Amino acid sequence: MTEDAGHGMALQMRAISKSFPGVKALHAVDLAVRKGEVHAIVGENGAGKSTLMKILAGVYDPDEGSIEVMGNPVGTLSPREARDLGIGMIYQELNLVPDLTVAENISLGAMPQRGPFVDYRGLAARARAVLAELDADIDVGTRVGDLSLSQQQLVEIAKVVSRNPSIVVFDEPTSSLGEKETRILFNVIGRMRQSGIAILYISHRLQEVMEIGDRVTVLRDGRNIETRDVAGITPDEMVRLMVGRELTEMFPKLDLAIGEPVLSVSALRRAHQFEDVTLDVRAGEIVGLAGLVGSGRTEVARAIFGLDPAEGGEIRVRGKTVRIRSAREGVAAGIALVPEDRKREGIVPDLPVRENFTLPLIGKITRFFLVLAGRERSTVQQLADRLNLNPPRIERPIGTFSGGNQQKVVLGKWLLAKPAVLILDEPTRGVDVGAKADIHRIIGEFAESGGAVLMISSELPELLAVCDRIFVLHEGGLVAEIPRAAATEESVMRAATGQVDA
Amino acid sequence: MTLQTSEPGARPAAPAAFSAGSLLSMLSIPLAIVALMVLGSFVSPSFLTARNLINILNAYSAVGLAAIGSTFVAVCGGLADLSIPANVAMGALVALGAQSLVGPVPAALLGILVASLGGLINGVLIGYVRINPIIVTLGSGFLLLGLAQLLVGGGIVYAEPSAFGSFVAGNLLGVPVSVWIFFIVALLLHVVLSRTPFGRWNFAVGGNYEASAASAVPVRFTKATAFVLTGLLSGMCGVLIALSLGQARPIIGAGYEFVAITAVVIGGTSLFGGRGSILRTVGGVIILALISNLIVLIGWPTPATGLATGSILLVVVAIDAYLRRRTGTQ
Repeated sequence: MTEDAGHGMALQMRAISKSFPGVKALHAVDLAVRKGEVHAIVGENGAGKSTLMKILAGVYDPDEGSIEVMGNPVGTLSPREARDLGIGMIYQELNLVPDLTVAENISLGAMPQRGPFVDYRGLAARARAVLAELDADIDVGTRVGDLSLSQQQLVEIAKVVSRNPSIVVFDEPTSSLGEKETRILFNVIGRMRQSGIAILYISHRLQEVMEIGDRVTVLRDGRNIETRDVAGITPDEMVRLMVGRELTEMFPKLDLAIGEPVLSVSALRRAHQFEDVTLDVRAGEIVGLAGLVGSGRTEVARAIFGLDPAEGGEIRVRGKTVRIRSAREGVAAGIALVPEDRKREGIVPDLPVRENFTLPLIGKITRFFLVLAGRERSTVQQLADRLNLNPPRIERPIGTFSGGNQQKVVLGKWLLAKPAVLILDEPTRGVDVGAKADIHRIIGEFAESGGAVLMISSELPELLAVCDRIFVLHEGGLVAEIPRAAATEESVMRAATGQVDA
Repeated sequence: MTLQTSEPGARPAAPAAFSAGSLLSMLSIPLAIVALMVLGSFVSPSFLTARNLINILNAYSAVGLAAIGSTFVAVCGGLADLSIPANVAMGALVALGAQSLVGPVPAALLGILVASLGGLINGVLIGYVRINPIIVTLGSGFLLLGLAQLLVGGGIVYAEPSAFGSFVAGNLLGVPVSVWIFFIVALLLHVVLSRTPFGRWNFAVGGNYEASAASAVPVRFTKATAFVLTGLLSGMCGVLIALSLGQARPIIGAGYEFVAITAVVIGGTSLFGGRGSILRTVGGVIILALISNLIVLIGWPTPATGLATGSILLVVVAIDAYLRRRTGTQ
């Protein structure tokens, strides 16, 4: 850095190293963040972003290195000391009490008091002031559980801002937000930057980094590869720095022969969610299902698989009508679903990778009711190698793996079940670049072997690159079927926002 | 080792799975048993005799069966079965009461069957209707115990002398038959929990119900079956006690639900699902048995057993929580 230390710097982390048993997570990482800047941190999963932030938040102690906050050296921090020093953290998952009001949540842990009682008038006034500062229009008396996800996030930000922080860390804040909510968030971040708060912004979405970031630090394998002004870097360069190699084509598309219809759905409906959905997916074909959040795309996927069964309509697999009222019947009919919420519905975190892999078909790897341990292990190890599981340790609990590797296991578990139809709901959300390429390769291989793929993604470039056709949902109804040749971000967005002439 | 579940986005590869904590928790049960035995041998010269040790086990083998069932319940995320005393009573009363009508062996089987039906009621309400297990088993426990009291009017049912009865109450190769039964059942169900798909399903359902359902695991069946199994084993427990004592009363199994839970927890099975083992529960049963015997040998009044058991339970849970926090797992 050219500036003299302590002046204009909100945070100086010097030569931070941290090891876990068997893994060196950080190697002498330097990080300097100026007051009033948005400093983006990018890197693949496992690059050390979270570890570095957890050291800053006082969750972990560094093995080596020093930290200065606003020019003052600080020793080892506890989470509480970090907070008192003005370091605020906004995680992907929010830390709010749904049954308390907005005002109560904002002042949680530091309630203004009048004598022994909570000063409710002061409480509300304080909340109103903070929300006004953020330009957020939320009634402070509302129960937080009644707010939308995006509003809850604003409350979380208000909670942090109310403690007058000097540094605020955002960890993947937009992963569950739509386009509109992201705008609101960026507005708020802009206001915080103006008031001199240093912002650390972690995201996989490089476009966002380009838009909101002032400077960006790229981490790879626990090292600071480079810190640069965002103005002088392109997303492609960032990707190159992140993976350490050139990814010529992020989504290689195989040219496959399209066969007979494998999945045919007609007039599928489920009250209040979707109506009259008719679509088909053929052998070797990857079909996209696009739509805004709330358009019913996830609900359609879950209905076809049987997690939330359809209330009417017909599902046929390879021409045969099937009744699907549960996931078990879905699997029996040859359908598999990689669900949207990996943590909630994809993995059993405490179980080893091996047992997660074989969950759907463990009943079939048996003799005399006993699991054939050797066969299970060799089958899983083979598949893990094919999927590039990293680290390739199938006896480790899956919860200790990065998001991308967890997703590979969820995907692999269904490949083992050899389905005819593979439905993917946001298969690459929150997944780093390397794992994303692996996942696309796996999907391509499945299609190549004659499987039919139905894929949901909020990332339009991904859908456009991968899919042969795209169905678009708007408010629970199919509004368009767009062939690959005619599909552009614009044509899909127009349909998804309801601007089509039927 | 478990992992953090409430953590966002990208995370570093967590510490390796083997740590001092996990080694300690693997050895802790055998160590505790050895320590208690050493302690016992100082307290009384008669402690470390084969006869005393067999007697110790004999007293706890019946309730040990209920503890084995409770392990399945805990692992699949069903918390605990509070209706164990009611099903124990049902098994005991039917096994003796029906002797004169159908003969001793069918009566015993009938007792187990009736207790299994109690378990089935729990299983259906918990697994399929999805009501909280504590509420369901509290209710069914009251209901069935009330029914049992209505049947015998608060009185005592006596066994009729039979070859079967004296076999069950007697010894085989110098070891009480009920101890044989406990170990055979434990071994069998250890294999079921650790080596069969049904066992695997229990861990999956307890570890993440939603993900298991989305992976086509028969979640409702698994949960229901864990409670049916506990009902069945409670029935066996009741039959064993009734035949050993030669009599049965509705309060015959009072407090057994807590003994079972304690054995499960001391064994290190998580009451919140996803982790546990039958062998560890057997260890827990043995530890409880040793403690109660030690208290008798020291000469403390029997109620002191509760004091000792309660203290050990709390210490075990506290150490477990501390170790898990220290190794960075929640």
